[in-house]
Amino acid sequence: MSKIIGIDLGTTNSCVSVMEGGAPKVIYSAEGRNVIPSVVDPVKNIVGDVAKHQMVLNPKSTVFSVKRLMGRKYSDKSVQGDIKWLPYAIKAGKSDMAVIEVEGRQFTPQEISAKILSKIKADAEHYLGGTVKQAVITVPAYFDDSQRQATKQAGEIAGLEVMRIINEPTAAALAYGLEKKNAHTIAVYDLGGGTFDISILELGEGVYEVKATNGDTHLGGDDFDKVIVDYIADEFKKEHAIDLRKDAQALQRLRDAAEKAKIELSSSVQAELNLPFITQGKDGPLHLVMKLSRAKLESIVDDLIKRTIEPVKKCLADAKIKTSDVNEIIMVGGMTRMPKVIETMKSFFGKDLNRSVNPDEVVAVGAAVQAGVLAGDVKDVVLLDVTPLTLGVETLGGVSTPLIARNTTIPTTKSEIFSTAADNQTSVEINVLQGERPMAGDNKSLGRFVLSGIPAAPRGVPQVEVSFDIDASGILNVSAKDKASGKESKITITGSTGLSKDEVEKMQKEAEAHAAEDLDRKEKIEVRNKADNIIYVAEKTLKDAGSKANDEDKKAVEEKIKALKDILESGTKEDLEAKTSELSDAVQKVGASMYSQGQTPPAEEPKAEEKKDEKKVEEGEVVS
Amino acid sequence: MKKHTDEQKRELQKQVETWKSKYMRALADYQNLEKRTFAEKEETRRFAVQIFLERLLPVLDTLEQVHKHTNDQGLSLALKELNVLLSEYNVEKMKTAGTKFNPHVMECIEVVTGEDDVVIKEILAGYKMHGKVLRAAKVKVGRKQ
Repeated sequence: MSKIIGIDLGTTNSCVSVMEGGAPKVIYSAEGRNVIPSVVDPVKNIVGDVAKHQMVLNPKSTVFSVKRLMGRKYSDKSVQGDIKWLPYAIKAGKSDMAVIEVEGRQFTPQEISAKILSKIKADAEHYLGGTVKQAVITVPAYFDDSQRQATKQAGEIAGLEVMRIINEPTAAALAYGLEKKNAHTIAVYDLGGGTFDISILELGEGVYEVKATNGDTHLGGDDFDKVIVDYIADEFKKEHAIDLRKDAQALQRLRDAAEKAKIELSSSVQAELNLPFITQGKDGPLHLVMKLSRAKLESIVDDLIKRTIEPVKKCLADAKIKTSDVNEIIMVGGMTRMPKVIETMKSFFGKDLNRSVNPDEVVAVGAAVQAGVLAGDVKDVVLLDVTPLTLGVETLGGVSTPLIARNTTIPTTKSEIFSTAADNQTSVEINVLQGERPMAGDNKSLGRFVLSGIPAAPRGVPQVEVSFDIDASGILNVSAKDKASGKESKITITGSTGLSKDEVEKMQKEAEAHAAEDLDRKEKIEVRNKADNIIYVAEKTLKDAGSKANDEDKKAVEEKIKALKDILESGTKEDLEAKTSELSDAVQKVGASMYSQGQTPPAEEPKAEEKKDEKKVEEGEVVS
Repeated sequence: MKKHTDEQKRELQKQVETWKSKYMRALADYQNLEKRTFAEKEETRRFAVQIFLERLLPVLDTLEQVHKHTNDQGLSLALKELNVLLSEYNVEKMKTAGTKFNPHVMECIEVVTGEDDVVIKEILAGYKMHGKVLRAAKVKVGRKQ
C-alpha cells in the first residue's frame, strides 16, 4: 500500500508532507523548495516557480489565486470583486460556475488546481520513489459544500483519491497534537501570503469542530511587503526626487531588498538596505543605502497588524467565548514570524502561542498526520523512548567505555568485543555503567557480573562479546560471551531509563562542567595503558629473541623498559608518550633483526582501539 | 465455550497481523530513510557550496555593476579570477540576451517593445550549477506593440 500524502493547497503557496517513521516530513519540490507557488499557465502547462517567472510577460494566461474561485458562481459577490483586479479573464461557465478563459479555452478552477496537485503528486513520487495515489487535502474552515466538492474534484483530476478534506485550522491543531493534550478551545491565527483567517475550534469527542471563523480575504504578507517598499521608495524620493517604483528594474530590486529586510528584522533589531547603482540620477548613478530599524518597521506595518484584531474579536463573539476561554493559540503562515505579530497576539490572548512548527508548513504537516491515521500508521501513536544517559562498561584503568550513546532510540541492541588485561586471565568482570563521564568511578554502576571459565591465553587474545539490549520497556539485558568456549553470563537491569528529568539533567551538566579535566584524565589513562602494553610486548620480544638479538639492541630495550617502568605511575602524559615511543623504536630494532634471522617477533598489539577489561579474578561475584 | 475460544483466536490473529504490518512498515520506512540519507549525502556533497554561492551572487552582481561604471583595470582582473574560480565549481553564467524567453531559467520582470518573446535586456544574471538553476536570471522581454 502506497503512502497517503497531506496537501495544503494554498491561495498563494502550496505545501506537501508525508508521515515517515511516525513523524511528518515535508516533501521538497523538484526546484528544491519547501513550498510551491500556486501559479499555473494551463496552456503551456507549467506550474509553480516556472509559471511565476512569466507572470509579468503573460498576465492573461498565468493563473494565480485560483482558490478564490473554487466552487463559486460567476455571480458571487467575491468573484465579481476579484474580476476587477485579476489580470486573467473569468467567465460564467456551466451552471453559472466561474471559469477561467485563457487563449479562447475555458478551464474550471478545479482543472487549474489539478495542475498544481499533479506537480505535487509528481514531486512526492520522486521523493518517495514510488507511486502516490491517495491524499488528504486541506480547505479553509469557511469553505462550503460546493467549494469542498470542487477541491475533491481537483484531486481526482490529478489522479489522486482524496481520502479526506479537512479544515486548515484543524490540520494545524493536529500538527501540534493538541487533541492529545485535550486542549478544549483553540484559536488558529493564519496570516498567509494573501489572506488572513482566524478560527475558533472546540474539541468534541476526540475531534475538533469549527465554532466560528472570520478574517480578511485580502490581507496577507504581500500587503506587508508593499507598505515596506512604499516607505523605502518614498524616503528615496524625498532625497533624490526619483520614484523608484516607476522603474521596473529598480522596483524589482527594491522588492527583494524589502523582503530580505523584513525577514532580517524578525531576528535583528536593525537591518541595512544596500542597493548600489539603483538608478541613474542627472549627475550619475545613484545608490540606495538605508538603515531600517525594527521599531520603524513595526510602525510602518502597525495598521495592517491592527486590521487583524477586529476579525479576531468578532470571531470570539460569534463563538460566544472570551479570550480567557481559549486554551491554545496556533500561529500559521509566514507573516506570523514577525515579532510584532507574535507580541500583539500574545498580549491579546494573555498566553504563550504555539509556533514551534514551521508556520509555512504546519497545515501540510497536520494533513500528513491525518493521512497517517487514515493509512493505519498512526492509530495509537507509538512514541519511542530514548535512553537519556550513555550506557557502557568499565575497562582497563577505570575508564568508562560507552556501548549505547545517550539519546539512542530504544529498543536497541549493541555489541562489542572485549578481551582480557592479563595473561591467563580466566574471568572478566562486567561493570555496567550509566553516565556521561569518561571515568567509571564518576558514573553510576547499574550492576556487575562475572564471566568465568575463559580458557587461559595471553592477554588480549580471548574474545569476549559484550551485548547490551534494551527492550521497549527500558529493561536492560547485558550479556558476556566467550567466543572460544561459548560460555555466557548475563544480568538484567530494570529502571535504567527510569531516571527523573532532573536527575538526567544534573548528570549531563556535571559531565559538561568536568569535560576538560575528565578528558585529560582519560587521555592520561590511555597513555598509561599504551605504555603498559609496550612494556609487555618489549619483555616478550626480549624473551623470544633470546640470543638472536644482538647485545647492544637488547641492552637498549632493557634500559628503555626500566625508564618507562619508573615513571609508569607518576609520569606526566608527555613523558609517558615520549618514553613509550622510544621503547617502541628500540623494540622494533630488535624485531627487525629477528626478521632478518628468520624469526617472527611477537605482534605489537593494535594501538588505541584495544579495549581491555579490568583484571579482576575474584570468582563468583554476586549478580544483582 | 468453543465459540469463545475461536473468537479469541481471531482477535489475537488480528492483533498479530496488525503488529506484523506495523513492523514491516517501520522497517520499510527505515530502509527508505537509509536510501534517502545516502542520496541526500551525495546531493549535499555536490551542492555543499550552493548556499554560500547563492549569497555570494548578489555581491558579485554589485562588483560587476561597479566595474561597468568605473572600468577599473584591477577590478576587471579580479572579476576574471572570480569567474575562473566559479567555473571550477561548475558554476556557469547563463546567456540570456537575445535568446528566446525560457521561464525555467529566467524571470520576466518587465515587458518592453521588441521582438516577441525575445530577451531584450538582462537585468540580473542567471547562474547554473552542475546544470541545475542556481539563480534564475531577471530579464526584460519583448512584445511587438
